[in-house]
Amino acid sequence: MRVEELLITAFESLKINRKRSFLTIIGIAIGIASVVTILGIGDGVKKTMYDKFAHDSTEKYQTAKIYYTTGEESAMDGFTQEDVAKVETMFPQVKKAYLAHETDDLNLSGTVGEKQGTYAVSLINKNSAQAKLVCGKKFDRTVLLGGDHQALISEALAKRQYHSAYKALGTAVNIDHRNYQVVGVYRQHDFYDESGSIDKYGADIILAKAVYYGGKEMTSGNSLKVKMDVSAKQAAKLATKIKKYLNKHGSAKNNGSYEYDNMEQMLKQFNATIDIFTGVIAFVAGISLFIAGIGVMNMMYISVSERTQEIGIRLAVGASQQNIMWQFLIEAMMLTVFGGMIGFIFGGLLSHLITPLLSQAMVTGITIKAHISLKAFMISFGVSAGVGLIFGILPARQAAKKNLVDILK
Amino acid sequence: MNNLIELKKLNKSYGQGDTAYHVLHDIDLEVKMGELTAIIGESGSGKSTLINIIGFLDTDFSGEYLFKEQPIQDLKAKDLAFLRNQDVGFVFQNFKLIRGLSVYANVALPLLYAGKKRNEIESAILAALKKVGLAGYEKALPQNMSGGQQQRVAIARAIVSHPSFLIADEPTGALDSQNSRDIMELFKKLNAEGTTILMVTHDPRIAKACKRTIEILDGRIIADSKGRVAK
Repeated sequence: MRVEELLITAFESLKINRKRSFLTIIGIAIGIASVVTILGIGDGVKKTMYDKFAHDSTEKYQTAKIYYTTGEESAMDGFTQEDVAKVETMFPQVKKAYLAHETDDLNLSGTVGEKQGTYAVSLINKNSAQAKLVCGKKFDRTVLLGGDHQALISEALAKRQYHSAYKALGTAVNIDHRNYQVVGVYRQHDFYDESGSIDKYGADIILAKAVYYGGKEMTSGNSLKVKMDVSAKQAAKLATKIKKYLNKHGSAKNNGSYEYDNMEQMLKQFNATIDIFTGVIAFVAGISLFIAGIGVMNMMYISVSERTQEIGIRLAVGASQQNIMWQFLIEAMMLTVFGGMIGFIFGGLLSHLITPLLSQAMVTGITIKAHISLKAFMISFGVSAGVGLIFGILPARQAAKKNLVDILK
Repeated sequence: MNNLIELKKLNKSYGQGDTAYHVLHDIDLEVKMGELTAIIGESGSGKSTLINIIGFLDTDFSGEYLFKEQPIQDLKAKDLAFLRNQDVGFVFQNFKLIRGLSVYANVALPLLYAGKKRNEIESAILAALKKVGLAGYEKALPQNMSGGQQQRVAIARAIVSHPSFLIADEPTGALDSQNSRDIMELFKKLNAEGTTILMVTHDPRIAKACKRTIEILDGRIIADSKGRVAK
């Protein structure tokens, strides 16, 4: 019999007993759905973290931050303008190096309303079109250049302290021992934006950078930003080279060390950890597949037993033992592959439903999206076909070995 | 070719040693092309065992079986399956159609196992159904048909690949008298067109309708209307 006819014959036989076929594939569908859900969440976490924190290969220039640390209280800054010039000279791929405030996103103590506490504060040097104001106004140009002490606060903070956004307008907040007047209330964003950077409008309070730092240009500091004309893959390597160079030739090499957080390396390790976790959990979920496979084998044995007459008829009209064996084996594999594909679809849907809940529960400010990869599909297809093959072969061989004369008595 | 089927000193036993049960004793038989032969005998006489051997269903025997002057004893299972597919058509007492498959699908089986494609076999199937008087019944399910109709489907399946001979094992055993007559008329018509038919029956009226009658008793041929009697 031709291969395509064998496939059609197997399919027609399964159609005859639809209820039993459906019940058989439920176990496989559940097993595969569990595995795909876990893989989808694991791959989603990895992809989300990578997309957010790895170097962006679409950017023309890559940016890295090298910082100086002493491990003890020291009045000496790690970088001077001389270090900046050295880096720009020694590394031609560095388009620009500049001293940066260690961060524009701070946790500062202060008082808002009557509540004293620590508040997330972001410093901006320009307004963002994406920021949505609930009431009031944004900073005007004079404030951004270092004018009046004004502040924007988040709607959530305004409601907490003043019971409404409008009541917060005009009040004074004290941040890091300085008073600022609230001129606007904005809708708060997530902590991190789509590109993985800290979203300024994810903080509780916004201040003008020039106002907070007093508008002085930095001549020294503990943070150096470098803009590199290299690919995303090369960026970490080059930044590491710069770090090593500074540890040998930096102005403060003897009092501390220059460090660079290699996100690529961290992400690799993070991914490896996630892989271990998802692998273990998927393995446990895979045990259900083994049990489902036993169910398939059991069902096939029953099917062979019930269809003894049919086997005899087929042998009598010219089927070979191989034809019979292949028919039953293909039936088993069709059931498991079909169940696997149903499980794959459900697993994909389930992982997309679960990951937003996971994001909320983790409270990292990152929205994790499930990611169903080609690898997950290949695993689903391969495992379900494998289950059909392994658990279908014995019943299929039994069918082929039936004694024709005994059957047709 | 003289004989289509030739059996020489054919013996068949079940079991071994002291518990061996000897079913067929020194059977000598020749069947020529175009014969319509009835094999009659009481229950347990060995007639079904004989036609199982003739129809390549059972190869566990001693003696010689020449089909188209070629010995078949040493053929492999695959080769015997090929012979069953190409050279013999079976018609059983209780029809032996596959439940759940349509009339068309049942009749198609020998052609599909012969390696033909689905789109090549339609005309052969329709022709076979027309011959047995079931044109238009392609989509029907056998379990919804009468006994006589089901037996016609079984005959259509048996003749669709134009085999060398048909074996019918009590083909009218499950039918009423009218249907039995109709089926016998069909067999006679097929034989008139050149089909060799071997028919097992315990019904003397069926035997009378055949050109040749072979009588079996206790595993031996005791009478053959062609004139040869077993010793």
